Amino acid sequence: MVMVLCGCKSGSDQGKHKKVAVIVSTLNNPWFVVLAQTAADQAKSLGYETKIFDSQNNTAIEADNFENAISAGYNAILFNPTDADGSVSNVLEAKSAGIPVFCMDREVNSVDAATSQILSDNYSGCVAIGKYFAEKLNKQGKYVEILGLVGDNNTWNRSKGFHSVVDFFPGLTMVAQQSADFDRNKAMEVMESILQAHPDINAVFCGNDAMASGAYQALVAAGKANDIKVFGFDGAQDVIESIQNKKIMATGMQFPKVMAKTAAIYADEYFKGKRDFPKKMPVAVELVTRENVNDYTGYGKKE
Amino acid sequence: MGKKVLKYIIVVVVVLLVAYNSVYFKKLDQVKAEQTAKTFNASSYAQNFWDKKLTPGLKDAIAIEKLIPMLNANPAQTFDNYSHALGIGNLRYFLIQGKGTITAIDADDITVSIAGLQGQKVKIATEYIFGNAARDAMGLININDFHNTMDFNNVSAEINAIIRSRVLPQLKHAKVGNGISFTGAIELNKEHLNLAQIEAVPVAINIQP
Repeated sequence: MVMVLCGCKSGSDQGKHKKVAVIVSTLNNPWFVVLAQTAADQAKSLGYETKIFDSQNNTAIEADNFENAISAGYNAILFNPTDADGSVSNVLEAKSAGIPVFCMDREVNSVDAATSQILSDNYSGCVAIGKYFAEKLNKQGKYVEILGLVGDNNTWNRSKGFHSVVDFFPGLTMVAQQSADFDRNKAMEVMESILQAHPDINAVFCGNDAMASGAYQALVAAGKANDIKVFGFDGAQDVIESIQNKKIMATGMQFPKVMAKTAAIYADEYFKGKRDFPKKMPVAVELVTRENVNDYTGYGKKE
Repeated sequence: MGKKVLKYIIVVVVVLLVAYNSVYFKKLDQVKAEQTAKTFNASSYAQNFWDKKLTPGLKDAIAIEKLIPMLNANPAQTFDNYSHALGIGNLRYFLIQGKGTITAIDADDITVSIAGLQGQKVKIATEYIFGNAARDAMGLININDFHNTMDFNNVSAEINAIIRSRVLPQLKHAKVGNGISFTGAIELNKEHLNLAQIEAVPVAINIQP
């Protein structure tokens, strides 16, 4: 009798008893806080119990988070990986335990591990930035590229998208390409040192907005902020304000909330029986310039 | 003594020859390109798409003089019915056709005043042929056909290369005042629609002197 009652209860309340884990690379960066919190809120609004696990940018902690989520009986994982290669084994562990994993914003280097990967279309976003960059420089000039983490796929997708346009114009010459690890302070130092060797550059393309802010700060200190054009990528609030104040030229707006909500909705659809998810789902990145900046706010559009 | 020296020289030459022929240096990007080519050939995919899907489907492009009033009257429904995109988000693509008169020829584009829609202008890109408009506008490419992100990025680049080599030369002798009919792909933002600055990536052109 008890078994029958339990069976009936679990059958009628199937969705409500499921749990969704959100495992995020770090909560020490507002971008990832927005991503994780939105994913958790969306899953909760769909009727699932949720918990956020912080991997602190450490694959070992991430592995512990996966083990804990699996042993605690979570039914799906909304995942922002710490490392494209290093995180694959964690995803495979969840897969072998029958738990679907939906990657958000960062990908893992495996076609079969995750159920779906919802990612910013970094390449196309940087094609748009590259086009605007070439237009604003009249296809002529010397420029510098400041890259993000060299081991991160997003770094190279952005760089490749940008170069697919600017390399088309022989008048545009890259005089230096250096990594600043997506870090504002490092970008400032890198920019200071590049300016010593190349004081005559016309523009800087940075792989994220934190680095664009750091590079701009170095240009202000060198008295060159009005002569050298700075381009970023992300859509961070301070860079949106910088574009409004005619300091930074442009950025690529990513939509972390769209990615997080989509991941939670996919998990919900998975529970309801759907299985044919796209392996990779790009989310459009929009070009934000001085001409259209008033349509946008940090990490999204004005509502 | 002389024979010994000669023997050593011969041995050293032989060793150097063997070593030289045993080691090959290749550029890393060349090796990576070869590996990619083995799994997916974006160029042949784009060629096939152009010949078998895009060209036969040009007749289905919506006339710009019909599209603009529909977008003004009911944008959400018009986007649902006529736009496509491989991913999700606000950027959507339409395949349009139009007729009109060339009113300006600039370094980066040609401006066409559209017949049958007073005041409406479309810029036909002639320099900046980049992005996903031509790939996505027809909605005939399925994202699940691609195993990795760079494959479908490369398809866009290859389709754009075809446009540069096959379509743009037809605009070489265009003059202000010429009549023109065209089919092209346009990108519009669903949330912030701007119909005053429409730029089309041309996929078919016919100039009437």
